Amino acid sequence: MGLPLMARRRVLAGFGVGMGLGWVPTGAAAPAGPASAPPASAQTTRVPTLSVAPMPLRQRRLANGLQVVSVPSALAAMVSVQVWYRVGGKDDPPGRSGFAHLFEHMMFKRTRHMANEMFDRLTEDVGGQNNAFTAEDMTVYQNEVPSNHLERLLWAEAERMANLQVDQVNFDSERKVVLEELRERVLADPYGRLFNALPQQGFALHPYRHPVIGNEQDLMAATLDDVQRFHATYYRPDNAVLIVVGDFDPPQLDAWVDRHFDPLVAPATPVPRVNIREPRRSAARQLTLTAPNVPLPAVALLWQGPPASHADAPALQVAQAMLSNGDSSRLNEALVYRQQSAQAAGFSADLYADAGLLLAYAIAASGQSLNRLAGRLRAEIQRLATAPVPEAELDKVRTQLLTSTLLGRQTAQGQADAIGRAVLLHGDARAADRQVARLQAVSADDVQHVLRRHVLGAPAVTVNYQQAPA
Amino acid sequence: MTEVGGAGLPEPQAPRPLSLPAMPQHRLGNGLTVITVPRTTLPLVSVTLLLRVGAAIDPPGRPGVAAMTVTLLSKGARRRGRGGRPGLDMGASALAREAEGLGGALNSFSGWRSVGVGMTVTSPRLPAALALLADMLRTPLLAADELERARAQALDGWRVTVSSPSDLAGLLMRRAFWGDSAYGAVAPAAALKRLRLDDVRQFHARHARPEVAALVLAGDISPEHAALLAQQLLGDWPAQGALLPEVPATPPKPIAAPLVLLDMPGSGQASVLLAAPFVASDAPDRVVGLVANAVLGGGYSARLNHAVRIQRGLSYGAFSDVEVFPAGGMLVARAQTQHAGAGELLHLMRTELSQMAVTPPSAAELGARQAALVGSFARQLETTGGLAQLVANQWTQGRPLAALAQHVGQLLAVSPDDVQRFAQTHWAPERWRAVVAADLTAAGDSLSMAARPQALRLDLAQLDLEQPGLLAKPPGS
Repeated sequence: MGLPLMARRRVLAGFGVGMGLGWVPTGAAAPAGPASAPPASAQTTRVPTLSVAPMPLRQRRLANGLQVVSVPSALAAMVSVQVWYRVGGKDDPPGRSGFAHLFEHMMFKRTRHMANEMFDRLTEDVGGQNNAFTAEDMTVYQNEVPSNHLERLLWAEAERMANLQVDQVNFDSERKVVLEELRERVLADPYGRLFNALPQQGFALHPYRHPVIGNEQDLMAATLDDVQRFHATYYRPDNAVLIVVGDFDPPQLDAWVDRHFDPLVAPATPVPRVNIREPRRSAARQLTLTAPNVPLPAVALLWQGPPASHADAPALQVAQAMLSNGDSSRLNEALVYRQQSAQAAGFSADLYADAGLLLAYAIAASGQSLNRLAGRLRAEIQRLATAPVPEAELDKVRTQLLTSTLLGRQTAQGQADAIGRAVLLHGDARAADRQVARLQAVSADDVQHVLRRHVLGAPAVTVNYQQAPA
Repeated sequence: MTEVGGAGLPEPQAPRPLSLPAMPQHRLGNGLTVITVPRTTLPLVSVTLLLRVGAAIDPPGRPGVAAMTVTLLSKGARRRGRGGRPGLDMGASALAREAEGLGGALNSFSGWRSVGVGMTVTSPRLPAALALLADMLRTPLLAADELERARAQALDGWRVTVSSPSDLAGLLMRRAFWGDSAYGAVAPAAALKRLRLDDVRQFHARHARPEVAALVLAGDISPEHAALLAQQLLGDWPAQGALLPEVPATPPKPIAAPLVLLDMPGSGQASVLLAAPFVASDAPDRVVGLVANAVLGGGYSARLNHAVRIQRGLSYGAFSDVEVFPAGGMLVARAQTQHAGAGELLHLMRTELSQMAVTPPSAAELGARQAALVGSFARQLETTGGLAQLVANQWTQGRPLAALAQHVGQLLAVSPDDVQRFAQTHWAPERWRAVVAADLTAAGDSLSMAARPQALRLDLAQLDLEQPGLLAKPPGS
């Protein structure tokens, strides 16, 4: 256990929670775009780095539309079984913000052939684990079990896709849990209110403007009818991707998938999709938010970003790493270490399926004004966008990104996660491996080009966050 | 296991046994322990260099010295000359650039019984990573300006800590349970302000030495290569020969009040904690205790979360965990809820803890919790970082690595009667302590029953975490 002295880490962790609201994938978005790769940089003096071996993907699609991606690997006697649904916070019904996430909780309740919390019996109770998260574009169910339990998980995932039967008692009780989740993430965290408010400031029209967690009023307005309608509308084989990674026999897996998922029927009606286009922001603006317990004020700058599949995405991800990945990143080195003007600072490119949000933020060190802090955030981004970039810095970021990819490939869960993002945000499981090469190929010119395009020349929303007057 | 499914649930196949990797170890001439856990599936190595000393030996009245020393390790080091290059002093920025240029984030850690530095890198970068970690641990600059910078950041961090009910309640719980013993020390702002450079330099001079150090390498490296690297980079670290530091074996000294109520007006949620004694690190029933904790609050389906979240929707999650030291340990159950629910939450937590002595787990319940413990152990073996941490913890506790091979068998040997007996022996209600941090006005009547008798009620202005009784001395006294 750590000592209370290591409190700074807690601040950063708190920020992480606020940033992604926890159940939103951390390090969200910004995988590579499917368009042509940016030109490789001219320099050749790099230390030779390792490459990441491509995953041996097996792909098929059942007649009912279910997409199946699997990767056999006998790293451990474990298997990861995940179902990724193409439905997320952006699909919340009108007046029901937070519903997609509330619904995710209901998927652990009763079905025709399963009791409440049966998934815990099938995973946790046999030495496995399960989790789920809801993000802007997706709802994801993740199980990891000893590999001899694989068929049971396939059966159970098919069962809750087809036969969910939530009742009023379970609905009411689980809604209370979600309200406590909201209080814990948004109200109890000193910076929770700030990060919860950012989507609304960053998007004007697109439903991304509603935080995935929703609000108490809308959550209280939801009904059992909404649950049934939502399940019928979005939880169907042609709107899902089944991902299996780990210790399994391929022909046996295919036979089990056929047995348990083939009988599922996709409705004849198409899945409704959000078609709202986010308009270009025309003017900068500034606002101030207050909260009862703000230990140190903070500032956030928001710009409009491209969608995840845009050709600029890899360079924005490299820019994010240069600005805020580690103690030697530009924002930490300048604002936190050298100037001591910030307690924490960061930059993130949150690129979703339909549009993106670029965010720079800093928590002020004691006695620092937010105006000056915002100016210093901008100055660092400006410097990256315009002054010469040392090749060694770019090398550092390439190595960081490659190492972190390898870390993810160590586990079945990590591989399944990379595949899921590739399919849902890029329409192709192979994008997971392509992204690695694309990131390595990003040049200093590419980074400067995308920052000039999306940040320097674009109007920002500035959000100041401070203590409410007594 | 019991049959839980309805029509159509397939039977599991035959299980594959869990296999533990080899973990060869040896000591260098100067006493430094080298442990290698080879795993060649990916070109990654997790490297950890640690000392078997920590916050438990902070000088009396000076909490935070060990942690600050670790913070400063990464803020500058004397780099030794290698391969014909001269040595040089490297400041914090250059050091961070070098570490992150190797691909891994530098992980500095400071616990009660160990401190250290580590990182995970691709295998070609391992020699450079280990050279960097060795210089940081052996010859840090420990500069005055870096102490001032780190102190300012820690003081700002403290302001954030005291605005979070769960963070503050955790510190309060530690102080209320361990009291004035080594493991009850907390370093609030006043203690941070008192830290001197001499404290840090003395801590390093006394305790950073090979006799109490270990190098753990997990991943794509052979034991032979590990031995060579260790000899090259750490073999000339002179042993000091002095006595090894004594680990304080102080048992808990709980405060008198069974419940502390901390008023945090305007806070977003109530944080509720309940602590009870746990056994010492060498107790024969330690593994039974781990299983008993798992039954109470060691997972989503364990009793606490079942009662609090699944049945009543009172909280996003209620769990318990344990810490184990040479003269005793602490079990802590924790959950957050809306202010008005704080009393009911505390009542439920007390009920579940007392039920442990009354109702032993059924065979199915126990089997499920044991499987969950085995599974979480197995998952730790999946990554190089998990392996390195497992081995480093085992070494810190002074347990043989070979004992890891028995861990699963010991967990599975625990019976329902063992669990009940453990609860009856160690979890007598008069030894419990509880903490509620909440907006006490908003919590209203919900706490009035729970608060009887003798609750200690405080607000932030009255709280002094350095005082064993938690109350600040009145001004002028």
